[in-house]
Order: sequence, then structure tokens, then C-alpha cells
Amino acid sequence: MAIQDDFPILQRLVNGHRLIYLDNAATTQKPAVVIDAMNDYYTKHNANVHRAVHTLAGEATDGYEACRTSLKSWFNAERCILTSGTTEAINLAAHAWGHPQLKGRAIVLTEMEHHSDIVPWQMLAEAFGNELRYVPVKDDLTLDMEAYEASIEGAGLVCVVHTSNVLGVRNPIEDIIRIANENGARVLLDAAQGAPHCQINMAELGADMMALSAHKMCGPTGIGCLLVNEETFQEMKPFMGGGDMIETVTLEGSTYQTNEHRFEAGTPRIAEAIGWKSALDYLGKLDLDEQHQRLLEIARYVADELRSLGMTVYGRHDDNDSSVVSFLHPTLHSEDFAHLLDARGVAVRTGHHCAQPLLNRLGISGTVRASFYIYNTMEDAEEFLTHLRDILERFA
Amino acid sequence: MTYPEQLSELIEDFKSIDDRMERLEYVFDLASEVNELPTSEWDDSTRITGCQSEAHVRVDLEDKNVRLYSGADSKLVQGLMGILTIAIDQQPIETAQALTPDFAVEMGILNSLSPSRSNGFRNMFDKVMNDLSGVE
Repeated sequence: MAIQDDFPILQRLVNGHRLIYLDNAATTQKPAVVIDAMNDYYTKHNANVHRAVHTLAGEATDGYEACRTSLKSWFNAERCILTSGTTEAINLAAHAWGHPQLKGRAIVLTEMEHHSDIVPWQMLAEAFGNELRYVPVKDDLTLDMEAYEASIEGAGLVCVVHTSNVLGVRNPIEDIIRIANENGARVLLDAAQGAPHCQINMAELGADMMALSAHKMCGPTGIGCLLVNEETFQEMKPFMGGGDMIETVTLEGSTYQTNEHRFEAGTPRIAEAIGWKSALDYLGKLDLDEQHQRLLEIARYVADELRSLGMTVYGRHDDNDSSVVSFLHPTLHSEDFAHLLDARGVAVRTGHHCAQPLLNRLGISGTVRASFYIYNTMEDAEEFLTHLRDILERFA
Repeated sequence: MTYPEQLSELIEDFKSIDDRMERLEYVFDLASEVNELPTSEWDDSTRITGCQSEAHVRVDLEDKNVRLYSGADSKLVQGLMGILTIAIDQQPIETAQALTPDFAVEMGILNSLSPSRSNGFRNMFDKVMNDLSGVE
């Protein structure tokens, strides 16, 4: 059975056309097994986790905690705090670790970051006076590593995107972490785009924190995690207070849990965790390396075709890059393109992709972005290009 | 509500088009209906906020009739401006001010564009109406 058959949504028509879903860098579609797992939870096991002794609560707790166990194993991480997504994970890092530990030390960021890995640090810097240093992006769309080395002295933290959501460029994470470690700085990886495309071994990389979202890797929306190594975890202070994160509460004060629950106040995302675990199981049955190569070939082909049609393509598509193709036409506005493609059933993204500093660096305000994932085929790419050629003929 | 004749015709035209692509194509064609506001005159006072593209509009009065000058870097947005131009340009100010954005719903163009673009149309309409109160 083909992978496409596992995704019910791919059967639908959009505006009378077969759906060609190329907005995977924003969110991926969900296989039936994920939808079924969440449905099964609500149908048969729904209960709150951790406290109650009844059977349903036990089943719900097992399902929720199984997601954490799978994530630790998948990414070879010591600690896994479940959050609402990458954005909350980075905000948690800023409040729970950055606030108490950085104490006015500099934070190194890059021009390539998503807003979710810029704004929380700007807010921290505004409150506590940290210096923010930005590593520039060079004309060849890679990070300026000399500038990075020059910026590291005295920094307490390096925040870097594993793979750019706009360019698909996979950054030299190994070198970035090595240089940070040599200079006594911790590293937070934004792996929202990297995690769906390759197997990331956090312990082997030596990253201290890593943030990601389920929905970009076939899981549900509304859940993500902050993976943390033990040393960093022990330095984190509780951020959000409430139920489930405490050991005892008296009118005089409270004591907190010592495990990950310390950072998961309130009723967590139980169905979503169960769905994410199911997504990991599903992806685990695929050869992700093989998929990566196949999708990269599609991206390279599409990028070449777009260039031949007079588009500017913003990307390199090197061996480790993701299958994202950002492009612009010299006269047809990106928003117009997206509407005209949508009328033919093709879903692409336009705009600044929540990376305005990067687009400012590129001297543009937005791009059209086609991003491919495991269920996309060369046939999708060909059909996308056929629609695109037709649009150019009629409107450009 | 009764609309000026040319707007009524346009509403009927749009109603007769079922295909989304053709509808968009028609909006594209209407981009040429605007009285062009040169880009050299685009500034913060002419900018329409809430659009994902650069869109600008200026409203004047000529013998108590509305004159609408506009432009955008997106053809679809400029097409929406063309529709507004057909609706109110050279109309008495009272007629223009009596208009509500409901006509766009009746035309079905708010269904054929994305929520952000539809909000953009609403913002465009509101700015024109606000500017009209200012030039009265």
C-alpha cells in the first residue's frame, strides 16, 4: 500500500481538483492511525492523568507517559517536558532556565531564526538586560561561522534553528555546539523543521535543550516538547504554577515535583500525546533517510524547473537540507500565486513565514513556499509545475 | 439595498460565475478599473493596513462627487480596488456613504478569497469610508 493511502485527507477534492498539499513546513497531514488513536482514547479511555486510581485514569496516564518515553528514545534525550508546541517550549526555556541562569549574560541568535526563537529572548533581554547577538546569514544562504565564533565570547546561551523553515538550509549544528561548549555556552536547538526530516540524536550532538512540535511530523496540533539534558534540567526553576506540578501545597507555600511534571502545570494534552506517540510509531516504520533523499530529489527538480521559468529560488538544497522550495516571480505577487494555485487544489504557503529578519536580510517581504513531505510524490511535483506554468501563461 | 447601476451589473456578473478560478480571473481583470495612485504618492496616510500586500488608496471630492485613486502590488488586491472604484468613483458622496460592504458578500468575492484577503477588503472599505468623512 502506498504512503498516500494512509492519509485520508489526500482523498478529498479542493475546488474540484485533487488536493496537492505542499504546505508541510507549516503543518503535516495526519495518517489514519493517529486520528484513530485519538478517537480511541476519547471513545474508550478518557480520564485525567496521574492522580485518580480508577482504571480509565491508569490507561490515560499510561498513554500520556508512553509519549514521553517514545520521545526520549526517539531523540536520545534525558528529559522531555511536554508543551503546547515549539513556541511554548522556547518560552519555557527562557523563563525556567534563561531567567535564573543567564543573569545578564549575552545570548547568541541567528538571522535565520523563526520568530518563536527570537521574540522570547527579546522579551527576556528587555526584562533583564541581556545582550542579544545575531549571527548574520551570508549571500550563499549559510550562517557566517566566523561571525559566530567572534560573537561567542562571554555568551551564556546559543539559540539556533536546526533547519530553516524558509530556506530548508540545515545549519552546521555539530560545529555550532562544539564552539559553544568550548566557550561555556549552552545550546538550544529549534528542531521544529529538522525533527520531521531526519533522526536527531540529542545526546550525541551535545545539545542542552531542543524544542519541537508534533504537528510537523504527522502528529496532532497543540503539543510539542522541550527536550533537556539532565544538567540543564536540574537548573530549571518552575515557571507555571498550578495542579499536577506540586508535591505539597499549604497556605504558607508549596513544594514541587522533581520530574518533568514540575513544568507541566494543569491538565495536560492527553489525547494529543497519545496521537503523537502513534505518529512516532508510524514514522518509525518508514526509512526516514530514504524518504529524505527522495524528497530532496523532488525539491531539487522543482527548484531547477522554477529557475528555468524565471523564478528566483531561495535555497541551496544541499544533501542535509530539507525539501522546502521558496521562490518568487519577478512580477506576479506571491499572494496572487497562492490564490491561483489554491483554485487548482494546490496548497502552498506565502508571506514572511514568521522569519521577518531573514526576509529583511534577503531584501524581500515574502515568498511562495512549497514544502514536501513523506506522502508527496514526483507526480505531485509535476502537477504543481503544470498548474504553475498555466498560471504564468495566463496571468504573468 | 439598491445599488448604483454599474455595481448592480457587476454583482450579477459575479453571481453568474460558479468556477472559483474564473471568479479570480475576473477580479484580476478589474485591476485595470482603478484610477491609478502612483507609487511615488504611496505613504503611511494612503496605506491600507491588514493586507498582506502593499495597498494604497486616496479619496478626493470633485464637485461633491467621490474620486478614488488606488494601487497595490498584488493584482488581486488591485482588482478588489477596481470593484470599489466601480462602486463609488464619481458617485455623489451620499450614495458612496450609504454603501455597506455587504455588496461584496452578495458578489461572492469574500468567499473566493482567503480570510486575510477578505479582511483586507473590509479594511480597504473602512479606510475609504473614514477618509470620505474627512474630505466632506
